[in-house]
Amino acid sequence: MTAVTMTKSLKVASYSWMNVWTLGVIFITLMIMAPIIAVVLIGLSPSDDIWEHLSSTVLPLYIGTTLQLMIGVGAGTLLIGVGTAWLVSMCRFPGRRFFEWALLLPMAMPAYVIAYIYTDILEYAGPVQVMLRELFGWATRREYWFPEIRSLGGAISMMTLVLYPYVYLLSRAAFMEQSVCVLEASRVLGRGPVRSFFSVALPLARPAIIIGVSLVLMETLNDFGTVDFFAVSTFTLGIYDVWLNMNNIAGAAQLAGMLLLFVAALVLAERMARRKKRYHHTTTKYKALPGYELEGRARVLATLACTFPVVFGFVLPAGVLFGYATVYFETAMNPEFLGYALNSLMLAGLAAVLAVVIGVFMAYGARLRHERLLKVLVRMASLGYAVPGSVLAVGILVTLGTLDNGLDAFMRETFGLSTGLIFSGTIAAVTFGYLVRFLALAFGSVEASLDKVTPSMDGAARSLGQGPFGTLKHVHLPLIRGSILTASMMVFVDCMKELPLTVILRPFDFHTLATYVHQFASDEQLGEASLAALSIVGFGIVPVIILSLAITRSRPGHDKRETL
Amino acid sequence: MQGLHIFGLSHAYGRHRVLDNVGLMIPAGELVCLLGPSGCGKSTLLRLSAGLEKVQEGSIVIDDTTVATPDMHINPEHRRIGLMFQDYALFPHLSIIENVTFGLLGMDAGKARARAMDMLDQVGMDAYADAYPHMLSGGQQQRVALARALAPKPKLLLLDEPFSGLDTNMRQTIREETLGVLKESGVATLMVTHDPEEAMFMADRIKIIGANGRILQAGRPHEIYYHPHHEFVAKLFGMMNRFDGVVSGGRIDTPLGPVQTELDDGVSAQVLIRPEGLILESDAMVKGVPVEVTSSHLLGHDNIVRARITDLDCKELYIRVHHTFEAELISDFSVRIDPEYAFAFPIDAAAEKKRLVTEERI
Repeated sequence: MTAVTMTKSLKVASYSWMNVWTLGVIFITLMIMAPIIAVVLIGLSPSDDIWEHLSSTVLPLYIGTTLQLMIGVGAGTLLIGVGTAWLVSMCRFPGRRFFEWALLLPMAMPAYVIAYIYTDILEYAGPVQVMLRELFGWATRREYWFPEIRSLGGAISMMTLVLYPYVYLLSRAAFMEQSVCVLEASRVLGRGPVRSFFSVALPLARPAIIIGVSLVLMETLNDFGTVDFFAVSTFTLGIYDVWLNMNNIAGAAQLAGMLLLFVAALVLAERMARRKKRYHHTTTKYKALPGYELEGRARVLATLACTFPVVFGFVLPAGVLFGYATVYFETAMNPEFLGYALNSLMLAGLAAVLAVVIGVFMAYGARLRHERLLKVLVRMASLGYAVPGSVLAVGILVTLGTLDNGLDAFMRETFGLSTGLIFSGTIAAVTFGYLVRFLALAFGSVEASLDKVTPSMDGAARSLGQGPFGTLKHVHLPLIRGSILTASMMVFVDCMKELPLTVILRPFDFHTLATYVHQFASDEQLGEASLAALSIVGFGIVPVIILSLAITRSRPGHDKRETL
Repeated sequence: MQGLHIFGLSHAYGRHRVLDNVGLMIPAGELVCLLGPSGCGKSTLLRLSAGLEKVQEGSIVIDDTTVATPDMHINPEHRRIGLMFQDYALFPHLSIIENVTFGLLGMDAGKARARAMDMLDQVGMDAYADAYPHMLSGGQQQRVALARALAPKPKLLLLDEPFSGLDTNMRQTIREETLGVLKESGVATLMVTHDPEEAMFMADRIKIIGANGRILQAGRPHEIYYHPHHEFVAKLFGMMNRFDGVVSGGRIDTPLGPVQTELDDGVSAQVLIRPEGLILESDAMVKGVPVEVTSSHLLGHDNIVRARITDLDCKELYIRVHHTFEAELISDFSVRIDPEYAFAFPIDAAAEKKRLVTEERI
């Protein structure tokens, strides 16, 4: 072969690769963005008088309630999350090492599950009120005051109890990253531990805390099970209501579009905080954290402060569930439950594998081709995590409906046969929904670990004769194997817990563990659903373990081992 | 021609130009060093030769095959090059022998292993074949990286700051060993460094790239050091003594005596003198300029001496003295210029203004 012909053939090869990665990423991004774009388009287009109707009746209520819920949950998680994070990372008191990971446990509890459990405990016929009545000899509800759990306040409490770990996790990581030297400088300059916290540690951790709270609020907007059960009229509930009860998909989409404004504000806050975070480290010197030894009352208070969220966010509700599951085991352990469990495993497994494969493709594609376009595209494709499940569900319904109708019309015109609805109301639609919502999780995790592989690794592999795919297979994949596994497990568990998307998109009469729990528990049949709920919580513990391992390993200065 | 041939390469990131019409030729068996400040585009030249970046202007030819022009790009895996990085980039999940056989594609396992062992033997790392990269010291990793890069018998070897990760004691030994292995293999080598001493030691020829991406001077190490064509090249090797003056009669007068120059009469010029180009003498009989020594620091094999010209208000002199020097014992010193180490360059008015402003700020 002469030099010229060889050059020609290689040249063609090198440009066709560009097409695979670039076109692939463009295609994926369009697919992922389609439901969101659909919602925005419908939200912008003026339709019947539904909008006027909504704005004159329920819209102010939706806005007001949603804002109150966000403020309440935001404040609650901020207080618990930052407070406990500070205690376990900076102070020494009994049980600190235990609380370090135990404080993450409530993450395993979906808000709707904890809501069913606390309602069961705290309602009029529940054990707490019964006991109070017996204790004080009250006979009727009018003789005493007891807070109503099925209320806005109740919803705030429930969500705070299970969502604070996001703030805890991020602010703890931020405190751990802080250089002790900075804190020591503050002490030497005459500020005590408490004042140092407020004037140095807290401002330094602020970007991380903002990210944590933004994530919490995104989850708050996403919640459907709790607000549905407590009848708290948030946007999410409104969307569901307008779609199912008023049978008005355009109206639902317009509400969804409105909700996206809230989301956009949160995403903006989060992104800005992330950008700031980079500039917040002035020194690279790390030493073990100071570990103020607490004495006397402070010791007891610190221990109590950490015990409270763990007990009420996890131990108590998990215990109740476990109790129910043993009592109702015979009834709960039925073929239906097994079938639903299989559905959940299958769907979550499929979504996890797809999310990771696509996540690797996009992250590696963006790494290979340093083009602005690709960078923007992969960012856009990972916006789904911020969009509430109900909004995505509406967007997917609209998109798939259009696709189905178009396909049907085309087939009827050309072949004279009707295909009906191919995608709408199938498990493919549900899987797609999961993918849109959780792709960011997989992508982010893969991207972060790919970033740790130095570019010279690529150069070395390429110069030693491996092409882009060979390099991925022989170098990158083995190196990031751990995070791929972690990412797929995180996606898997989130899909297991997912409720709003599944409720709206699932095929008729199709149940997952989550929808099954939702259906039975909101009928006050917690016993029957206890085994299913317990399974969800059980799977939910997996990411807690992963995260707690990661957080102990990630402290700079504490562990010199190279982590790849 | 065997080796690397680069024609008129220019490259820019956005509006920032890092390479400007750079040409280069390295025949097989020769080692060329690219020397320049960080950010001057020398690493870009390396990445372009490797195929890790696409050529914007110019062309690259390896062993008579054009591998890159603005319209055409052969991927790195098809260029038959060896590449060695500052961080060595050993694959952490592979053992040493697996790292070295990584590039031996299409060779049967037995032969690949034999070839790899042979390479490891050459760099003295054969005993570590089954170890993993994290178990090795920096110097050992460097040797393995060299073996890995050379194992597939590349037509061109590219070294990116290959010794900067090593501590000073280690560096010289490894440099000598590497040089030996490279000469043995007869491969054309392009090395990038910002360390002038390293370039002097390793290179057959040195190319100096300035901050503007242009090649300022090319030549053998001896020429670069003793005949710098450019103020920048002269200053690469460390601090200089500077005297300004105007050329008259083919010479410039300095407080330490006249310096010959080929610059035209009437040109404003600066005279730069290396610290070893000032000869400090205690003998009162020689005809140097009398100075007062203000400080002296022993650096090991030589001394750094600061001195002030007696009866003259001017900057302190910066002198390198090669023998043991105890200033306290003697008080009468004189200094004269060794013309081999004194260079005259015209003063660039714009650059000069900038320099004065920064100096004032300091």
